[in-house]
Amino acid sequence: MPPKVDREKCDGCKAEKESLCEQVCPGDLMHLGADQKALCRMPRDCWDCMSCVKACPKGALETRIPYQLGYHVARLIPMMGTNTITWTCIDINGKVERFQYRNRGSDD
Amino acid sequence: MEKTKALSKIGLFIFDPGGGFAQAVDLETVVQKLSKAKNVSRCEVVADILATGFLLSVKEDLRAGNLNRILWVGRFSPYQEKRIHADLSAEGLNPYLHEWCDVKEQGIGKKGLDRIVQTQKITILIQMAVARARLIEALEPLSLPAADAVLIIGAGVAGIHASSSLIKLGKRVYLIEKESGVGGKVASLHRLYPRICDPRCGLEFEIEKLRRSDKVEVHTLSRVKALDGSPRNFEVKIEKAPRYVSEERCNGCGKCAEVCPVTIPDDPRLHFPQNQDQSRKKAIHSPTPMAFSSAFVVERQHCPPQCRECVKACPAQAVELQQTPSEMTLRAGAIIATTGWDPYPLSKVEEYGYGLYPNVISNLEAERLLENPPELKEVGFIQCAGSRDERHLNYCSSVCCSASLKQALYLKERLPDSRFYIFYQDIRTPGFDEELYRQVKSLDNVIFIRGLPSTVKPDGENGRLKIRAEDTLSGKEVNIGLDLLVLAGGMAPSEGSGEIAERFNLPLNNYGFFESHLQCHPEESQRAGIYVGGACRGPMNVAQSIESSHRAMVEAMQFIDGTFLVEPTYPLVDKTKCDKCKRCMEDCSFSAYYFDAEGFPTPDLARCRQCGNCMGTCPITAISLRHFTIKQTAAQIQAIKVSSLPKEEPVILAFLCKNDAYHAAREAADSDVVIPPNVFFIKVPCAGSLNNALLADALSFGIDGILIAGCKDGQCHYVRGTQLVKTRSVDLSDKLKKMMIEPERIRFENIEIRDSKKYTELINSYMKDLKAMGPNPFRV
Repeated sequence: MPPKVDREKCDGCKAEKESLCEQVCPGDLMHLGADQKALCRMPRDCWDCMSCVKACPKGALETRIPYQLGYHVARLIPMMGTNTITWTCIDINGKVERFQYRNRGSDD
Repeated sequence: MEKTKALSKIGLFIFDPGGGFAQAVDLETVVQKLSKAKNVSRCEVVADILATGFLLSVKEDLRAGNLNRILWVGRFSPYQEKRIHADLSAEGLNPYLHEWCDVKEQGIGKKGLDRIVQTQKITILIQMAVARARLIEALEPLSLPAADAVLIIGAGVAGIHASSSLIKLGKRVYLIEKESGVGGKVASLHRLYPRICDPRCGLEFEIEKLRRSDKVEVHTLSRVKALDGSPRNFEVKIEKAPRYVSEERCNGCGKCAEVCPVTIPDDPRLHFPQNQDQSRKKAIHSPTPMAFSSAFVVERQHCPPQCRECVKACPAQAVELQQTPSEMTLRAGAIIATTGWDPYPLSKVEEYGYGLYPNVISNLEAERLLENPPELKEVGFIQCAGSRDERHLNYCSSVCCSASLKQALYLKERLPDSRFYIFYQDIRTPGFDEELYRQVKSLDNVIFIRGLPSTVKPDGENGRLKIRAEDTLSGKEVNIGLDLLVLAGGMAPSEGSGEIAERFNLPLNNYGFFESHLQCHPEESQRAGIYVGGACRGPMNVAQSIESSHRAMVEAMQFIDGTFLVEPTYPLVDKTKCDKCKRCMEDCSFSAYYFDAEGFPTPDLARCRQCGNCMGTCPITAISLRHFTIKQTAAQIQAIKVSSLPKEEPVILAFLCKNDAYHAAREAADSDVVIPPNVFFIKVPCAGSLNNALLADALSFGIDGILIAGCKDGQCHYVRGTQLVKTRSVDLSDKLKKMMIEPERIRFENIEIRDSKKYTELINSYMKDLKAMGPNPFRV
C-alpha cells in the first residue's frame, strides 16, 4: 500500500526544490503537489520499500503492509535512531511485534 | 580518516578525597570492572588529586603515550580543574581531552540509599562517561581575521558617547548620521535633569574629542543602504545626500545665510503664537542640531529656481550647487545601532487638541520655551499623553514624568507668579528622580491633579484654553482655564530603527523597538556583531542611553580586535550526509547559516552562538557541535545498560538544558531529598540541540521515560530552543502512539534554575506514571 501522507504534518520540507521523500524514493514516485504537500504520483508502482517513511523528519508518512504480507490495517512502523532502526509491526489482530536493527556501514 | 586516528587510551581517575564514595559504593568492584573496559588504560581511586606524586605519574604516562585522554570522576572545584588543565597542558594534553564526570550531581554518595543500587548506578554513569571519552577529540579555538573599525549608526547622545569611548581605546569608528549635524534629540533639549544643565555642554565636550581624533570618520546626511559580509567583516553601503557646500572650504562665516532670500520653518515645529516669527533659519544654514564640521548645508527643495545668491556671496567659493548623491562602502568588524526614538505624533491623541489650538504644545517644543518664556499665568501639563494607553503607546515612556517635572521646576523659576497644573495617572520618578518630584511638590502654586482631562477646548476668543477633568482623588470635577498646555508625549520607536531593522534583518519587539534578550544580553540584537544601544531598544533617559551604548560598545570589542576568537565547539556540517534540506537555516535563531560555494548550508562561525539548535533540527543527523557530537551522545545513551537493572524499576533519561534545568537538578542532588536512583541525566547546551534520532535511540535501547527540560517559553537564551524541541518531540510522541507505545514516554517540561523542588517532584511523579505504564516494550 503506497504511502499515506498526513497533510497536517507534512510541511513539504519547507517547499524545498526536492523534499526528502522525493530525493529518497527509488521509483521517483514522490513529489510535491500544488499545495506543497508530498504526494505519491503512481500509487500502483510503489514497492512499499518504506524509504520515504524512514526519511520523513515530521513523521508524516505511513505505509500499510502490502496485502501479500498482511491484510488491511496491518502496519509496519520504523523509528530511526542515530544508527538503529526499530520496527514495530502490528498485524490485523492487533498483535504487536518489535524488531531492532543496528545500521552498519556509515562509520563503524 | 577516522580509521587512521590513534587509539583512545583513557586514564580514569575517581577522586574520592574524604572516602565518601568508598562508603556509599563498592569502589573496588567498580574499579575492577572498569579497568577491564575497552580503551581504559589506567583506572584508580585518588584521594588527593593535586598531590605531586600523582600528577607526576600522570604526566609520565602522557609522555610515554600510555594515556591520551583523562576522565575525571567526582566533584572538582573550579580551582582544581584549572590547576589540572594548566599542569597537564604543559604535557601537551589538549583541554578538550579532559572529560569531567560529576557523579555527585547525579545523586551518588547520598545517605540512605542502598549500596548495591548506588554501585550499579555509578558504574553506569562512569561507563557513559567512558563511552563519551573514547570519542572526544583535541580541539583548538579558531582565530579569524577581523576588521578594526566599528560602524555606529546614529550620532545622538548614545552614538557620540560610544564613539568617543572607542577612540579613547584606540579603535576606529565610522559614525553615520542622517541629519546634517550631530547631537540627535538630546541636542534639541534645553535642560537635562537631574542637574538641570544644558545638554549641549556635555555633548560639545564629547564632539570636540571626535573632531580632533583621526580615528573617527563622521558621515552626516548619510543613510545605510545595504549590508554585506559577516560579523568582524561587515561591508556597509552608505548613501550620502549632497550637502551643496564643500566641507573642506566652508569656514562657516555665514555670509551666504545673510543673502539667502528664503526663510524656512524652524525645527521642531513651534507654533505657539508669541514665537511664530522666531525662525531665522534660511535655506542655507549651519548644520542642525549641532554642527560637527562648520560647513553649512543647503536645503535645495526650498531654493527658488536659478537663485545663485549664496554662490555669489561666498568668499571661499565653497557653495557647490551641482553636487549629487554619492555612495561609499565602509568595512567594519561590528555595528552598533543607536538610532534612538521619535516623539509619538500627538495629533493622534485627538482629545487634547494638539495641532488644532496653537497653545497646545508638545514637551519637546516646550523645551524651547524654557529660556525666555512669554508671560504665562496658568500652565498645564498632561502626563501620559499617548503613553500607557492601549490606543496609542501601550507602555510607559519612563522619562516624561521626570521631564515634565524638570520643565515645571525650571519654568517656575522664571515665572514665579504663575500657577501650574499637572494632570497625571501616576507620577513615575524612578530612583533618585524622586528628589525632583519632592522639589516640585514643595513649590507654591503647583497643583497635581490625579486624572487625565476629558476635554480641551478654546475659551471663547481670548486665546486661552478651557480644561475639564475629574480629580479622581477627591471625585470632584475640575474646570480650569490655561494659557499654555504642555503634552508629555511618549517615546515611540524611531523611523530610522525601522529602516535599519529592514536593511539588516533585525527583529523588532511588539512595540517596534529592537528585540533583545532584555535581562541577560540587553544590547545584543539577534544578529551577531550587530548591537543596539540607547533608546532604540526601549524608552530610557539620557544616562541610561549612554550606559546602554557603552555596553553595546564593550560587546562589539570582540569583533574588532584584529582577530576574532571562535570557541572550537562550533557546529560542523557533514557534507557527505547533508542533502540541503535547509531546516538548519530555517531554525537558526541567529541567521548564522549561509550557502557555501557548493550549495551546502554552512554556519558563519562569527555569527554562530553554538547553541546546537541546528544539530537538533537536522533530520539526518548531519550536523554536530564539536565536543558535543551526536555520536558522542549516542554512545553515552547506548552505554546505559538498561538490561542490567531490575525490570520493575523504570529508568529515566533526562536531557537538561545546562542554563537552568541542569542547575536545578544539581541543587536537588546536593540537597537532602531522595531522588530515585534510576535517573540519569545528560547536560545539553540548549534543549533545542536535542535530535529526535537520539530520543529514538534511547527508546529503542529500552529507556522507559525521557525527560526533556528546558527554559520557560520566551526565556530561552537562544530565543527558540525550547519551542523547537517541543514541536519535534511532539512529532515523535505521535509516532509512538502509532507504534502502540505510550506517548508519555517522552515528556517535555519547563524548569527554571531554582526549581529543584519541582524537578524532584517531577521525577517522582514521572516514576510513578512509568511504573503504571510498565516497562518499555523494547526493554529486554
